[in-house]
Amino acid sequence: MSMKSYIAKRLLHTILIAWGVMTAAFFLMRIGPHSPADKYLATLGAGHNVSQVAAAIESRYGVDRPLYEQYFTYITSLLHGDWGWSFSTSMPVSDLIRTHWVYSFQLILLSSIVAILLGITIGIFSAARKNTTADHITTFFSFAGISIPNFWLGMMLILIFSVKLGWFKTYYDTGLPMFSLSNLYALILPVMTLATGMMAGYSRYVRSSMLENMNKDYVRTARAKGLPESIVLRRHVFRNALLPVVTIIMLDMSGIFFGGAYITEVIFGIPGLGWMSLKAVFSDDYSVVLAVTLIGAFVTLFFNLVADIAYTYLDPRIRYE
Amino acid sequence: MESILSVENLKTYFFTKKGTVKAVDDISFDLRKGELLCIVGESGSGKTVTALSILRLIESPGKIIDGRIILNGRDLPGLSPGQMQDVRGNKIAMVFQDPHSSLNPIFTIGYQVDEAITAHKSVNENETTSKSIELLELVGIPMAKERYHDYSHQFSGGMKQRVVIAMALACHPEVLIADEPTTALDLTVQAQILDLFLELRNKFFMSIIYITHDLAVVSEIADSIVVMYAGRIVEKGSREDIMSNPLHPYTKGLIRCLPSDHGEIVPIPGTIPNLINLPQGCVFHPRCIHSMEICRKKRPSLNMVKEAHYVSCFLYGDNHE
Repeated sequence: MSMKSYIAKRLLHTILIAWGVMTAAFFLMRIGPHSPADKYLATLGAGHNVSQVAAAIESRYGVDRPLYEQYFTYITSLLHGDWGWSFSTSMPVSDLIRTHWVYSFQLILLSSIVAILLGITIGIFSAARKNTTADHITTFFSFAGISIPNFWLGMMLILIFSVKLGWFKTYYDTGLPMFSLSNLYALILPVMTLATGMMAGYSRYVRSSMLENMNKDYVRTARAKGLPESIVLRRHVFRNALLPVVTIIMLDMSGIFFGGAYITEVIFGIPGLGWMSLKAVFSDDYSVVLAVTLIGAFVTLFFNLVADIAYTYLDPRIRYE
Repeated sequence: MESILSVENLKTYFFTKKGTVKAVDDISFDLRKGELLCIVGESGSGKTVTALSILRLIESPGKIIDGRIILNGRDLPGLSPGQMQDVRGNKIAMVFQDPHSSLNPIFTIGYQVDEAITAHKSVNENETTSKSIELLELVGIPMAKERYHDYSHQFSGGMKQRVVIAMALACHPEVLIADEPTTALDLTVQAQILDLFLELRNKFFMSIIYITHDLAVVSEIADSIVVMYAGRIVEKGSREDIMSNPLHPYTKGLIRCLPSDHGEIVPIPGTIPNLINLPQGCVFHPRCIHSMEICRKKRPSLNMVKEAHYVSCFLYGDNHE
């Protein structure tokens, strides 16, 4: 199969899955007993005709129409870039996303860079020093890093470095530019929180992948040619060792998005998508929850696709099949 | 003829948790210029470890603990890692057993042949490429120019082994070590690769150490033969000496294992001993039909019985250490 038709096929799969996820998420949200009117009605004083107000609200947002009709309306608007209306904030969901996504993006980007660079470096380091004290120490910290839940780590970091030592402020100031020194400084603890688990995991993957490749026959062939050990490691071991790691990192992105970043944002008060969706959940604002769920799903699908294509590009054995 | 490579009292042990594996235990042999020396023995007899020791490619927990390996007057175990790098591929090249795994799957074969050249010579890219294509043609790869850009998975086993041989020839080494180069190949392809070796040897007057367990091959191509058993040399001599007048009971047994026009195949009873727990005295005595009292007590030394024909057995003279 040629590269182009392979990518086309994968793309089609991705679109189908995205549609499936969207459909499932949509209906699951609507199954819930809450109406968008509930929260508003709760704030209403006595003397109003509750059922009339509810009907008015439901009619305004189209939730009184049959479910299948709502579904088709939702798909059609989604294809036009309209994510629906946020009841709790009284603005289009797309505006809400536009204001908040950058904060998530900033946190995830910085954490990924830190985790990937450090994880790979530590992995190579401990592979090269296999079974030495240095390797045992990094192994210990890697397992600790993988095992510690990041909400706990985040709170501990705040407790130690912000509350006790007072080194970092515990809030993110949206009034300042995103990449202002002050905000980057405020991001140190959140990035540590999010990056630790990732970094620990990657260092383990890189280490085992490096060790596995070090014993390959072609590495011995490379040595037998008279190549210097540094080139043997860099070219024949590391390049091959990176193949599975690239996939793992790509696939990990979904975990970071849903698991890590959301919780980290909530703990540190970073106004990203996670923080936004948590607020939406508590106010039954299901267009927002649905939007954030779908964004997460789309990001996951996108990185799956990228991982597949990247792998195809990196490994000639797959490229030519 | 002068000797180009001398192995003297080489001992390579592997220090494992279960005990010390004496993979190569005090062996000596000479390789003369232009000679094709065959090392014969069962699996686990130390053939490959001997080859890897010569190139100093023994990996932990293995170690050359004693002995000299003299290439043109230079003692290889005494060289610095940098000097040894210059010997590998340049003065002594090696072809490995399994061509399917001895090429790196993510680089083109052309690139890997280039590497073998540039590891030792500073030549520009165009020259390297044309030299590589020349080498690929020399080893009989059809359409070498086009195939230069292909990856190893696009080649058959025999063609892969030709590529590996091309890499080994890149710097016109004085000594070529071939470690069971045809074992992983089909029978018809084996014959082609064997022919290629003989052709190259006549063309370049290379000295070749050919490692095999296939006595039929040995009887075709060898100038001289070293028979190894459990890390030791039991007999060595010219092809005529060994094939027509074998002395050691093990060599005799090996030759009786060959299918011939007359007589049946007689297997040697028993298996090669555990290298951690070698029998006392002569390592072959538990399987030997001529085993005597002394064989159980003393290790026989390798003694010359006639010009250039050595045997390590008490049946021939009062041979003991």
